[in-house]
Amino acid sequence: MTHPDGGENSELHRLASLGRTLAGLVHEIGTPVASLASNNEVLLRGLDSLAAADLPADIRRKVETLRDLASVDRLACERLTTLVRGVKRLARGASAELVAADVNELLRDSLQLAHHEFKLRITVETDLGELAPVMCAPHSLGQVFLNLLVNAAQAIEGQGRITVRTRPAPAGIDVWISDTGRGIGPADREKVFSSGFTTKPPGAGAGLGLAICKEIIARHGGQIDFESSPGAGATFHIRIPTGHSSGGAGE
Amino acid sequence: MNNEQPTVLLIDDEDMVITSLRAYLQLETPFQVEGCTDTVRAIDVLKSRPVDVVISDYLMPKMNGIQLLKAAKEIQPEATRILLTGHADKQSAVQAINEVALYQYVEKPWDNMTLLMVIRNGVERAQLLRELRDSQSSLRDVRARLIKAFL
Repeated sequence: MTHPDGGENSELHRLASLGRTLAGLVHEIGTPVASLASNNEVLLRGLDSLAAADLPADIRRKVETLRDLASVDRLACERLTTLVRGVKRLARGASAELVAADVNELLRDSLQLAHHEFKLRITVETDLGELAPVMCAPHSLGQVFLNLLVNAAQAIEGQGRITVRTRPAPAGIDVWISDTGRGIGPADREKVFSSGFTTKPPGAGAGLGLAICKEIIARHGGQIDFESSPGAGATFHIRIPTGHSSGGAGE
Repeated sequence: MNNEQPTVLLIDDEDMVITSLRAYLQLETPFQVEGCTDTVRAIDVLKSRPVDVVISDYLMPKMNGIQLLKAAKEIQPEATRILLTGHADKQSAVQAINEVALYQYVEKPWDNMTLLMVIRNGVERAQLLRELRDSQSSLRDVRARLIKAFL
């Protein structure tokens, strides 16, 4: 698939503005979510003390029902809170500024965000080794992980498994993201990282994902490659040096 | 230790934050909680009564949280200053810490337990600072009287 003149650029602009909208939205959600979570705590506490009191049976039943509902709300609030914090961490300093970050934590955030792609059909296994902090643009790296996870999920038809593994490497770290999906055919191997390449139906992706991933990893002084055989899934491997010192690893 | 009931001043242009935090703090602490959705009114409160902890939102009409906490620092330097914000970028954090000698920077969505701990420590800090100021001034009085007596 080729893009008309400037197509790639306008797609990037569209994605960037979508990203900004999303970040703004998440900031907006933070306050009401915190308010709900706080109220829920107060309500639960109040209902607990009511439940401990001597009450007529019918009222006790009502109190218990309310308490059950408030407990469900608590879980809902916790999930929203985790989600909002995850997005904020990923969106933090969308600048190119390099900071020391925990790659395992970035992977966990990305997994959380990709969760909607997994639903019940995909099991996720993580095997995260102890890693030294990596000098990176966390937002950009998070984008790479999210991209690879979403690709992995979309490569799996029906049930499957995604495995995320990290290990320390000499002067760096290794990340592997594997899926049990349809794999990458020999004809496509060369084109995977070039912009405009996609096997997805129209609307599911512009084919910029992996090209951008490669660019981001290269700016971190790292490498990205993959192994795959058709029908047997794919494993993407990223190596990033821990102490990359040249500036401008971001957008 | 000050015998008066410690006071926490909450400033957020969203009423829901104040209502939620006030209910929680009233449940968990003996602190008096004052809430303002308006920064100008918050400054009036600061001018009119002792406050132990000031917790301010960042993005508000008229005045942002850093400007407000800066004013709080001038009016009541002993009061502990906390920024509670959903708009958390490194620049505003650094600016806040440098310009208003911020005690803590708490992000929305906040965690009640963490916030409670920060507020409790903040109250204690403010009361110790007041005590220190009072004993320093009485020490100065004693010294002045001693000097007068000898001369």
